[in-house]
Amino acid sequence: MDSMIYRRKWPLIVFLGPAFIFLIIFLFYPFLQSVIDSLHNTLKLGSPRGDFTGLENYKRLFTDPMMRTALFNTGKLMLFTLVFQVGIALLLAMMVDNIKRGAQFFRIVYFFPIVISATALGLLFNLIFLYNGGMINQLLANFGVKAINWKEGGYAFITMLTPVMWQYVGFYFVILITGLNSIPEELYEAASIDGAKGLQRIRYITLPMLYNVIITCVTLAITGALKVFDLPWVMFPGGIPLGTTYLTGTYMYDRTLNFGEVGYGSSIAIAIVVIGVVAAQVTNHVFKPKEY
Amino acid sequence: MKKRIICLALAALFCLTLASCATSSPSANPGGSNNSPVGNNNSPAGNENPAAKVEITVVSSYGGDDGNRANYEAAVAEYEAATGNTVINDATSSDETWKARVRTDFETGAEPDVLFFFAGADADAFVLADKVVPIEEIRTVYSDYGSNMKDDILNTTLASPANGKAYVLPMNGYWETMFYNSEILADNGVTLPKTWDEFLAACETLKTAGITPIAMSVSEVPHYWWEFALMNNAGMENHMVAPKEKGDDAYNAYVQTLKDIKDLYDKGYFPENALTILHAEADMLFSEKKAAFFADGSWAVNSILEHCEAAGTDPDQVKFMGTPTKDASKRPANSYVSGISMGFYITRKAWDDPDKREAAVKFVQHLTSDEIVSKFAGFSSTATKNPVVMADAKPIQQNAIDFIASGEGFVPAAQDTWNADAKGDLFKNVQFVCAGEMTPEEAVDSFLALNK
Amino acid sequence: MKRFKISKLIIYLVLIIWAFTTIYPFFWVIINSLKTTGEIRVNSFALPTTALSEAFFNYSKAFERMNIPLAYRNSIIISGTVTVAVVLIAGFGAFAIARYRFLFQKFFFSLLVAAMMIPVFATIIPVFKIINSMGLVNTNLGVILPQIAGNLSFSMIVLISYIRSLPSDIEESAFIEGCNVFQIFFRIVAPITKPAFATVAIFTFIWSYNDLFTQLFILRNPKSYAITRLFSEINSIAGVNYGLMAASVVLVVLPVMILYGFLQKNIIRGMTAGAVKG
Repeated sequence: MDSMIYRRKWPLIVFLGPAFIFLIIFLFYPFLQSVIDSLHNTLKLGSPRGDFTGLENYKRLFTDPMMRTALFNTGKLMLFTLVFQVGIALLLAMMVDNIKRGAQFFRIVYFFPIVISATALGLLFNLIFLYNGGMINQLLANFGVKAINWKEGGYAFITMLTPVMWQYVGFYFVILITGLNSIPEELYEAASIDGAKGLQRIRYITLPMLYNVIITCVTLAITGALKVFDLPWVMFPGGIPLGTTYLTGTYMYDRTLNFGEVGYGSSIAIAIVVIGVVAAQVTNHVFKPKEY
Repeated sequence: MKKRIICLALAALFCLTLASCATSSPSANPGGSNNSPVGNNNSPAGNENPAAKVEITVVSSYGGDDGNRANYEAAVAEYEAATGNTVINDATSSDETWKARVRTDFETGAEPDVLFFFAGADADAFVLADKVVPIEEIRTVYSDYGSNMKDDILNTTLASPANGKAYVLPMNGYWETMFYNSEILADNGVTLPKTWDEFLAACETLKTAGITPIAMSVSEVPHYWWEFALMNNAGMENHMVAPKEKGDDAYNAYVQTLKDIKDLYDKGYFPENALTILHAEADMLFSEKKAAFFADGSWAVNSILEHCEAAGTDPDQVKFMGTPTKDASKRPANSYVSGISMGFYITRKAWDDPDKREAAVKFVQHLTSDEIVSKFAGFSSTATKNPVVMADAKPIQQNAIDFIASGEGFVPAAQDTWNADAKGDLFKNVQFVCAGEMTPEEAVDSFLALNK
Repeated sequence: MKRFKISKLIIYLVLIIWAFTTIYPFFWVIINSLKTTGEIRVNSFALPTTALSEAFFNYSKAFERMNIPLAYRNSIIISGTVTVAVVLIAGFGAFAIARYRFLFQKFFFSLLVAAMMIPVFATIIPVFKIINSMGLVNTNLGVILPQIAGNLSFSMIVLISYIRSLPSDIEESAFIEGCNVFQIFFRIVAPITKPAFATVAIFTFIWSYNDLFTQLFILRNPKSYAITRLFSEINSIAGVNYGLMAASVVLVVLPVMILYGFLQKNIIRGMTAGAVKG
């Protein structure tokens, strides 16, 4: 479908121009600097550029066990985010769409976690999961159960996952509910005339009409997992225990700022960008966005 | 529809106008031209002209919740009142982001006039680029600059590792040692350990009694214990000697240090969740009287006081000790780590500007005067020739002062001479060594490779 | 006459449980803002014990630390401008990518995703150098410009998906009636896209507002601080002042809550209007 309206291409410059000017000046050009940094061994962020080391930082990416852990954990996070974060958000959005009383209340309240600074949330969750007398262990003690170390080995990943996923459910919720509300009422009316009930409405109207929005959420979730930093860092700085809970976002921060390895940190940043773009492309190919 | 567009456009215009108005109100780029002083000022540098008002930018780490922040702001206000100059007080508590910003400022020409910063390797880049003025050069014009400070400290402890010259005038220093809860020791019949073996025995007794012997975060803050254990293995004389090759004396001392820490971990003297506990949580453990020993520095005294008070435990019972020694001839029991690591730089930018030069020098001289330094020092150490006295000290603070007064020597922190990546690497590996995933030799080898 | 449905009950139950998890942290922050750091560390979940008239010490400390009204003004100017600018520019750009077919279209979309992936730590130093060379350090504009860029990619991606799902028949008929592309954008597409604009606006505002890292590099003069700077004022080498932090969170979050409550109503109004139009 090549609409008549959009045959003449020159308005593109007006429409796309401003956006790409901003992106080029403040994102792409600085990122180019980062790429160049990744070919050097600059130490201590802010210092003048170090010696040229070519592709050494990239070779290190492939052999660094902590990077592998970070990638693996981020992959797991992506999966969990898709199923639970977007999934729960979708469920909640559909539920709120269905009720009449109190919809506005829920819409406002589900948004709270996004507004509160991740550092404060990290502190809250640290106190909930604290080994010595945190909220959960106190509850367990009341039932005579011995305190559990929520940040060790087996539990660590789930303990890190839960707050991160919980915080951004509201984000996808708002996006989905915006999408839900744009589905014309007439479609539902027509469907009920045809005799469609609850679940059938969801299957044949809601989900198909939401298709594009859901795909966007998937893209955002995947890319979000690659970048997430604040909350996991406050709870699991340095990937404790023993570097097993690193995510790509926290690992990049650790290398760049705490280890002062600007060159290597830049190469991690580039890996993040490349993986993100590839993942988004794959998503968009597998689930082709539908035009109406 | 048109109305909406007009509204939107107006809103955008309005915001942009506000934004550009805001552009002109606060002081604009420090990287640009300097503000001309009010009133004439054709007099050469060094000539007092009370009518001249100069604005200087001072960057320091006396921001955030720093205990001395109020003192700093008061001192700045005194200076402004006395000289008529204005100070742009850019103060942020020190962290890696702040350090990166300071370095970037020098790289881009946006550096301040006076900078309170680290005297060590963090400043290498701009020291080597000659963007700050050495004290000897300042003294050619202002002969009494820093005259109240001990020169040997200025020229050794505070000299730049990059070229050995002295650039900074300090305020107060810090010390690091072991805090302990005397009530816990008394309750469990433990006498204060002086030797390493006594220490291990004491920890064993405490552990059996259900108390966590040592509150420590292996993953987040191993560096205090690193220094303390190294003191035992290298001795006072060689504490600052870093290994140069595998197998040399320093190398062996470093390996033994890691072995000692691992030994404490294996014996269960660290908290049960030592691998995941955060330093703030270890602090809590100690303040709540659930742990007997805690390693930290002079800055922690006041916060431990506050935490004990809130937890309902008795802060007067918190006392200070040197780490138990392995060999009293190499390292006395009552020795600790102490140093001065930060001070005031004057930048070339200010020095080359005749108006700002005077203002900047006066500022530093005021802040580093005996009177002001005393207020800041409290119970930490200083470089002043005259000693410091703290009035109205609480018992815990007095305990600290007493410990320092009775101290049998101190060493600077060995880590201050290392490369940043070597430091990060070694401290990160302490947890792996404890957990048995890395041998002490491997950790020191890795350090050696990075600390060229 | 109401019919009592079990399904409705379950729905409400689930919604209320989730609402509890999202409200509680806010409640927790508020009660802790009335306690001292020590008290918080002992039991952060207990109610404050000081009398209400004396309990606001953390807030007074915050006001001592920083010029808060000025900081609010700076924050609102910065984030407000960023939001308006992003909505306009992203709206334009998203419309182009969603509707036009042109060479390298897929490539442009990938560029957008790439832009969204770039971590702020990787670009802050070059961005600072650019801002410094423009003479914009310590100014609101110095923060506004990079933040516009930072939020464009996300906003465009959301808007593209929304605009793509709009049926294009109205645009077609408008074109036949003689409207040009710009008129189509402003008169037809934009109004229907209002809910998405509102969504993008609120997120852009929040992210710009909370972006402390950029501000730390660009705003150094205390007169130029934005309100999020409060979070820098609570740390020290001895640790975090938790009471002050809780108070800071409340102070920082307040305007955003108000703004969201306000915008939120517009989302509903916009949505109903859009849906009826069809």
